[in-house]
Amino acid sequence: MSKLTIVRLYHDLLGTYGDQGNAEVLVHRARARSIDVELVEVAPGDSVPTSGDIYLIGGGEDGPQTAALEMLQADGGLGRAIDSGAAVLAVCAGFQLIGTSLPSSTGVTVSGLGLVDVSTVYTDDPRCVGELFVTPADDETAQMYTGFENHQGRTQIGQGVQPLGWVSSGFGNGLPSASGDSRIPEGVVNGRVIGTYMHGPVLARNPQLADRILGSVVGVLAPFEDSVANAFAAERRAAMTI
Amino acid sequence: MPGQLRLSVAHSAGRIASRLSQSTGRGRGETIAGRVILGIDPGALGKLAGGRDIVLVSGTNGKTTTTAFLAGILADGTDEKVSSSEFGANMRAGIASVLAGRPRHRYVVLECDELYLPAMCEVLKPKVVVLLNLSRDQLHRTGEVRKVANLWHKSFTGDDVTFVINRDDPFLEYAVANAGHVLRVTFGGRKHPDAATCPNCSALLDWSQADYKCVCGLGSLAAPIRADQRLSGPGRNAVLAIEAARLMGAVVPVDIQAGLTETAPDRSATYVVAGREISTRLAKNPESWRECLSQITASQVILSVNARGIDGRDTSWLWDVDYTPLRGRRVICTGERRLDVSYRLSVQGIDASVADDFKAAVAGFDSQTIEAIASYTAYQDLAAIGLGLNKAMTGVDR
Repeated sequence: MSKLTIVRLYHDLLGTYGDQGNAEVLVHRARARSIDVELVEVAPGDSVPTSGDIYLIGGGEDGPQTAALEMLQADGGLGRAIDSGAAVLAVCAGFQLIGTSLPSSTGVTVSGLGLVDVSTVYTDDPRCVGELFVTPADDETAQMYTGFENHQGRTQIGQGVQPLGWVSSGFGNGLPSASGDSRIPEGVVNGRVIGTYMHGPVLARNPQLADRILGSVVGVLAPFEDSVANAFAAERRAAMTI
Repeated sequence: MPGQLRLSVAHSAGRIASRLSQSTGRGRGETIAGRVILGIDPGALGKLAGGRDIVLVSGTNGKTTTTAFLAGILADGTDEKVSSSEFGANMRAGIASVLAGRPRHRYVVLECDELYLPAMCEVLKPKVVVLLNLSRDQLHRTGEVRKVANLWHKSFTGDDVTFVINRDDPFLEYAVANAGHVLRVTFGGRKHPDAATCPNCSALLDWSQADYKCVCGLGSLAAPIRADQRLSGPGRNAVLAIEAARLMGAVVPVDIQAGLTETAPDRSATYVVAGREISTRLAKNPESWRECLSQITASQVILSVNARGIDGRDTSWLWDVDYTPLRGRRVICTGERRLDVSYRLSVQGIDASVADDFKAAVAGFDSQTIEAIASYTAYQDLAAIGLGLNKAMTGVDR
């Protein structure tokens, strides 16, 4: 790979909860490995490039979420990029809109981008707000993921896809998975596409997840111990026991 | 108990509770006094407000300082006595306490929490409501900026109150779309970081000029008051306060207006810590952080961030702020979420160290000037006498 291209989608629309920081963390951790990296901003109305390596979608309010969904549907570039092997990290509103269906800003159920088999509904249950602690589904002995969640929707993941992890504390997807596991899933993983409800930004609070995404597109990464990042991540994990 | 007698008992009990609270060091006493009053007479707010001329001040940033500023202008510009909120107690109890404190003062200027504003308009029947701005703040509590804007939009339909708004903020323009009387003030337009889409119709707002336009027509109404585009956040709020005071009958000569807005107060105070005078600004959300960072002049800066309820429990917003103004300065992070801040800065290429508490941060610096920016509870902690810190000089944060 000559140059790693990270594409940040519509951060004016979907950057309400600091999720644009995920791009900065990826750039920072890539440069620390001497990887040549470019950050491409896609503003509302711009066409989505299909040659990017990692696409980032953040959280946002209902109105902007619907606007972003309609633009991404009309554009179609994100799906083609995934077909070409791109990685995606979609957070909160972004997680919901890459699924098959979700409530629009007017409360009507609409089709999502259909990039992963998850569907989101609104219920009368309280909004899911607070610290979220998640055991990674692919390695339950690995370090826990942490984030801050703030969402009304509950998301059901389909039988053929895995969650990013299992909720240790917090709400996560808020609904059991279709597979019948009694644990509550958090997020989704399908190939190189990851969805999650964790803000923080999630890659700032979880350097291991940032490296997992970088590694999925560039291969084995050189070691990089960032003591500031690690101290922050460890403190957030420790907060669960308080 | 008859209505007036109940109110009188409630009022006396409130004063005693306030004194007890102050003497036991539990706080300023304003809120506890109000709780006692409302506990005895739940209808006290409406009775205390009756026959008085009330202004409410709300918005994300600048409520406390603008309330004090407006009260001062009103007192100077009329021959009447003015009561006002002084300590940022802006919910029902705090408001009850202010109203009860000086029941014969004709004018009352009250700071009001955004979520409580519709209910307070209903019961207090203000003459004027000043809406300063709406941006991201305490998302764990309000959920979304648009939630507040929608709540206001649905509630503000009456004909008996005049809203004074900064119309450059699309959320405020939407909030008063159905209101009977609105005085719009423009500062020549300013891109709103949270308003990519229209709060009314959800279409993308056209920000290609400094100002916004929408296909639904939001923002197309002219603003009769046009003020200086270069004003800071506190300066813009001061202009709104002056217009509100005029509507209430105050005389504010045009030739002193520029001077008033230039010296508009921000939420800052100078504290003496370990023998050092430290100018400290309160910043509690991305917009107020941007404002505070733009005003830093010292070469040594302390950033103190907590994430208790009123600060916003989610610290993600730290990533929505550009810390470029800190480049070339020495920075020490403290507060309960100092590691969040130090990592955020390091990713932006700004070196910062961390200190366990504010005193240790001060000790980490040399004899040159130190400035500080503190989140809400970190700022309150500094003001707390229990920490042995003395306020050397105050802004309007009395």
